[in-house]
Amino acid sequence: MSKRLLSIPMALIALSCLYPLFFALNNALKTNKEDILNRFGLATSPTFENFTQAWTRSHLSDYFLNSVTATVGAVLLLMLLASMAGFALAILRFPLRHLVFIAILASLMIPVQVVLVPFYKTVIAFGLLNTRIGLILSYTAFFLPFSIYLMTSFYAGLPRELTEAARIDGARFWQVWWFVMLPLGKPALITLGILNALYCWNDVLISLLVLQDKRTLMVGIAALRGEYTTNIPLLSAGIVLAALPIVAIYLIFQRQIVNGIATGAVKG
Amino acid sequence: MSELSLTGVTKAFGGVQVIQGVDLSIEKGEFVVFVGPSGCGKSTLLRMIAGLETTSSGTIHIAGEDVTKAEPYDRHIAMVFQSYALYPHMTVAENMGFALRLQGVAAPERRALVTEAARILQIEPLLDRKPAHLSGGQRQRVAIGRAITRHPKVFLFDEPLSNLDAELRVQTRLEIARLHQALGATMIYVTHDQTEAMTLAHRIVVLRAGRIEQVGRPTDLYDDPDNLFVAGFIGSPKMNFLPVQASGPREITVAGQTLTLALSVPLPTGPLTLGLRPEHLSGEGPQVTLVAEVVEQLGQTSYAHGKIDGTPVIAEVRGHRPQVGEAIPLTLNPSRALVFGADGQRLR
Ligand SMILES: Nc1ncnc2c1ncn2[C@@H]1O[C@H](COP(=O)(O)OP(=O)(O)O)[C@@H](O)[C@H]1O
Ligand SMILES: [Mg+2]
Repeated sequence: MSKRLLSIPMALIALSCLYPLFFALNNALKTNKEDILNRFGLATSPTFENFTQAWTRSHLSDYFLNSVTATVGAVLLLMLLASMAGFALAILRFPLRHLVFIAILASLMIPVQVVLVPFYKTVIAFGLLNTRIGLILSYTAFFLPFSIYLMTSFYAGLPRELTEAARIDGARFWQVWWFVMLPLGKPALITLGILNALYCWNDVLISLLVLQDKRTLMVGIAALRGEYTTNIPLLSAGIVLAALPIVAIYLIFQRQIVNGIATGAVKG
Repeated sequence: MSELSLTGVTKAFGGVQVIQGVDLSIEKGEFVVFVGPSGCGKSTLLRMIAGLETTSSGTIHIAGEDVTKAEPYDRHIAMVFQSYALYPHMTVAENMGFALRLQGVAAPERRALVTEAARILQIEPLLDRKPAHLSGGQRQRVAIGRAITRHPKVFLFDEPLSNLDAELRVQTRLEIARLHQALGATMIYVTHDQTEAMTLAHRIVVLRAGRIEQVGRPTDLYDDPDNLFVAGFIGSPKMNFLPVQASGPREITVAGQTLTLALSVPLPTGPLTLGLRPEHLSGEGPQVTLVAEVVEQLGQTSYAHGKIDGTPVIAEVRGHRPQVGEAIPLTLNPSRALVFGADGQRLR
């Protein structure tokens, strides 16, 4: 009885999440004219014209490639660095390690907007403006504190004896990391990869600053709105194209995401 | 030359001195057990030998080489952890061959060495499984197998049986003893269980609060303990301790009876402690009576609990099965009696 009662608000929440997706997809299949006449109705004669136009004439294909490069690059780099730093902070003993960890935690509390000016100046000083590598490094810098925090708490939960057994077996520190810690970190790394992929893919602010003449997908879509204020179907097609990889990742890694959250790997 | 020697070894965690100056040398092929109550520093001492904890002062030599500051690997030791510490993402074979892989031993040769160790431990059918799919006893064997594969100079065991059920514990204990005979290796074994220590050790090192209380063969510790602590710790059920006074240079009075002891030095005046094991309350000597308050029947023998002079005493009774309330005649056998001074040291 109470389960049924609970299913009503649950269904409403699910609907409120699904409706925007449906709305975007539906509008993307309309012509601009049909959209103006009947914005909330079903597409009467579905067309893929908007997708082709967005992909080719509005250069979303180029922007898509930029987004993929930046996201994949940053996600891999973040996994690598966070796993190394998490291993060091959770397992190794070195002077000031608590202070280092606290500094990393503290930097989590600083909003991106506060450091935009010095960040921008640094990007210029290193000659990274308008380079894809610059965007990869920027994403890595901004999302690294949380990533390190997550990996440190994951590794701190592993039994200490595993590291000790490896050291007795003759593993040097980097070998302990490579042979034991990196493979054991897989569940946390997958969760981390998905979260960071979402952040990077959906980012507008950082990419707007760093890639001014190349544009990533989200910036490109935002720009669509500026140029074609009224062309909602074209914008919708862009949004659907941008959402596709995320939906795909979610469907592929569904179980890992749920497991990651359930086992407390995500404590953010 | 001894295989392992500790000289004036100490360890402090922060300001707390956990190991307080340990001197010990262990011969090649010896099976030495560190025993003591929990928290006395057994694991810490073992981990210092392994190189997992630094040594605050003193030196550690293995096979004549000073390894006080050496990395664990360079000490040529292998360790079996209480939690087994198997790598969960590797198969049994990969776990056992990990050290060889790090040494750069080629895969076929590695497989041969791993199979050889697996054969000794009878775990060959398990080689391709992951640790998660093994029982506690099987994990234990794999952990031992991982140690064997390396052919170390010294094996270290930290309470390896404490996660097994009672039956498996006895069985594995025997297997470790057999393994020691088969390999002829030097082994150091940590336990808080005196029965394990008695059954396995060539020599037992009794530790208390970071100090060695006594080192000796199991029978020496049982027959001839140096102090009250060792006397009380070794043997099950525990030795009976009766507060007594000296009534002459070699005489003590207890429960109205006088015991004449063969001592090399005269007894001091003041309070003393008389020690008599539950199984030694028979033979020649003055008689006392124990009224059984509680009786534990073990089948071939019984333990009667009662009081002598107001002090709780346990007596082993063989030959008949005593009942609660029964008056049991006991003998205070002077040839079995041990006397301890007020400082707890044995008077011989
Ligand atoms: N890493 C550590 N930091 C601080 N104190 C420790 C540490 N390891 C052990 N100790 C302390 O040292 C003492 C001995 O511990 P341990 O060697 O584990 O005892 P045992 O193995 O005999 O039970 C205990 O009082 C314990 O609290
Ligand atoms: Mg211990």
